[in-house]
Amino acid sequence: MTIEPNDPTRSGPPLPAGGAASLSQNEIRALCLKAARGAGMDWGIAEEAGSAAAWLSERGLDGPGALLDWLSASDRIPAASRRPEMTSGSWRPSDDGPMCPITLGAALCDFADLPEAALSRGLLRLGPVGRPVLLLPFLSGLGAAQGSAVRIDWPGGTVAVDGRGALSGDAEALRLEPEAVLTIAGFRAEGLDRTACCLRPAVGPDTLRGLDDLAMRTTVPPSEASRAGAGAATSDND
Amino acid sequence: MDCATLTPDLKPADLHRSPSVVMRLDRMGSAHPTRLSFLRGLLRRVARDGWRFDRPVWDIDATGVGRAVYRAAGPDRTYCLVAFAHDLPDEMRSDRVIATAWDATFTLFDGEPTTADLDRLQANVPLQEAGRISTRELSLSRANRSVRLFDHVVARLASGRQPDLAEVESVGYLMRTTAVYGSGKFGAADRETIADRPELQAPFQAEMLSVWLTRQFTVDIVEHLAAVRGGADAVRLDPAIRRGLGVGNSTGLGMAPFLIRHPVLLHNWMNAREEALARVRAQSAAAPGTVDAFVRALDAARENAALWHSAHPVQVARLSDLRRDLDRLADRVADGRVLSAPYPWDALWRWAERDLSLEGQEALLALMLEPHGALVDDLSDGMSADEAGSFRIDGAMTVARLRAILARHYDWALATDFSDPRNAARFWYVSEEKLEPRLGNRFDEDGAEREQPLCIARLARELEAALAARSGDERLAAFLLDHPEHRYMVRRAQITAGHPFAEVRDNLTAEDMLPIDLMRCKLAFFGASRFDPRSDKWVRISLFQGEPYPSDMTSGDRP
Repeated sequence: MTIEPNDPTRSGPPLPAGGAASLSQNEIRALCLKAARGAGMDWGIAEEAGSAAAWLSERGLDGPGALLDWLSASDRIPAASRRPEMTSGSWRPSDDGPMCPITLGAALCDFADLPEAALSRGLLRLGPVGRPVLLLPFLSGLGAAQGSAVRIDWPGGTVAVDGRGALSGDAEALRLEPEAVLTIAGFRAEGLDRTACCLRPAVGPDTLRGLDDLAMRTTVPPSEASRAGAGAATSDND
Repeated sequence: MDCATLTPDLKPADLHRSPSVVMRLDRMGSAHPTRLSFLRGLLRRVARDGWRFDRPVWDIDATGVGRAVYRAAGPDRTYCLVAFAHDLPDEMRSDRVIATAWDATFTLFDGEPTTADLDRLQANVPLQEAGRISTRELSLSRANRSVRLFDHVVARLASGRQPDLAEVESVGYLMRTTAVYGSGKFGAADRETIADRPELQAPFQAEMLSVWLTRQFTVDIVEHLAAVRGGADAVRLDPAIRRGLGVGNSTGLGMAPFLIRHPVLLHNWMNAREEALARVRAQSAAAPGTVDAFVRALDAARENAALWHSAHPVQVARLSDLRRDLDRLADRVADGRVLSAPYPWDALWRWAERDLSLEGQEALLALMLEPHGALVDDLSDGMSADEAGSFRIDGAMTVARLRAILARHYDWALATDFSDPRNAARFWYVSEEKLEPRLGNRFDEDGAEREQPLCIARLARELEAALAARSGDERLAAFLLDHPEHRYMVRRAQITAGHPFAEVRDNLTAEDMLPIDLMRCKLAFFGASRFDPRSDKWVRISLFQGEPYPSDMTSGDRP
């Protein structure tokens, strides 16, 4: 048997070979963060992507699949061309393509306490944005910051989300949209029905493989030097 | 004039050590376990709440192969360690992730497993990383024998004799764990789903319980094998020798980035410990019994330091400092006047800061907390963290305000000259072949473009440079639209503004940086003793050495 020096504590979970898997939220967050980074997102945005995918997954929505779709569609396109531009009441792409839902969502939360994202001033128009279901966790965050629930309308339906993360409406229909123009509005709502329920929806084998392939781009291939540097300097058989 | 007018009232808030003192690597690398360490908290809880322990399943054959279940029944819930014992050929024994087989494998089950649960676990737990566990399991771990001591103890007990004390003391454990995974790893329950249970609220309680029950298993299996071999001649381990055996642990670089990736948690650990020290220093007189208890703890620490061995040059020097400082400390408190003066603990602390090494100072910290459980133990409740609650960036903050935060909390980073190759010599990365963290040399290894974001000092400097080019009134929300590459560091800096112990205030890419310093700090919070580096990146330690066993608790023994 070959002996490779390795540490016994590793940074992340391996993926089961083949078949769908039941992943913990921790595993989904870690895998999606690495995949987003592997696809070229900056670390801070990749963290947002991991959290967003886990948030959706906790509510029974295929966040990892939606993220993989977006990362695949936008692979190696400079992030700057997917960033939003704001004009009064409207967030639109700075370039031709749809906005990155993670970058847009993070920006909406960053502006949550500023006029550009104030829901009290009326409707906000967002779009076109890629894989718009990925915006839901950020809109929940926006609602939390502004003490309001958020209603999301697009030609295919309506979803509402509140600051505690409860969700109602056509979220599954939104998940299927590759891209959309949304309007969002604040409203007072009680009793939205779907909250985090610690579901573990199975993550399909194609999604796992796709995310893993991207995640592996954050890793460094082995070299003699890297192997020599790890592990104990002495035998473990003592 | 009396002493009270000479010494103004001291309050804990005035006595906190500064993060710029506490969060340096060399001091973190001198950390000692304290009574706030996580295994100590576990032992206090199970004693206080009258937990009961037994072993409902012991299905181990004459070759030492089979399965066992250890049950821990608390006031509200029951947890079970499921252990699988294997027959491992010597040539397959490795502490590294490369290993595919171990002497024993374990999982902590949430509740009481049925036979069907045990069968499911038997198909997965022995595979470790290659298997999957479920929301019913809270940890996954494995252990290897200390071949030398394990065989010696079995042989001696089988022949009716106790093991040789020198052999026992030179190793200190029968088996060592090589990884203890929790928090959703390999499909296990997410921490968020169990964090509201009082017994699991403090950090790493499921992992500590698992290791403590594993310690019981290590003794049970040597006694079992000795009985098989020796029959009627075999004897059980002498209770005093048994108590001196801990569970070993062998760990590598993978543990080091944890502290960097969990800044709020790191702050909460450090802050609890620092508040505890400040509370003790603020005592205007030594409370009854505390001096005697301190002296007993000091005696135990000197004995521990005498038995604590390492061949690593850094640790050899530190152990020499420690033994010398503990002797000086013993001399100092032998003069009864020292601890009967006003604010005796503060005076002792100030003397130590002046006259003792970092090892001596940090050892004294642990000793000063020891007799003050009633004063400090409540701080254990604040050592976990709601990390999601600190994730959101405050985009309304101005550029000027963030620059002020950087100037205050990252002065050490802003002062680092990264054009000096010694300051950029290393990079942290994840290896493709094992998905484990490693540390490379930037100037003679490939892969630096895939560096992990642990180079906090450089990221802080780059952020400061970008901020300096913007108007001070600008909001960070706008800045981050133009500079998404600084989002990671903006989040950290905002966290550090409210959690000043969140950041290790040293350059983690410096040529002379020692990863074992990070590991020692984390392991001390677990409660690890006998820190023994086997390289700059790899250590062995012992857990629960000298503490009671689960079986002792049930018979009424208390820690």
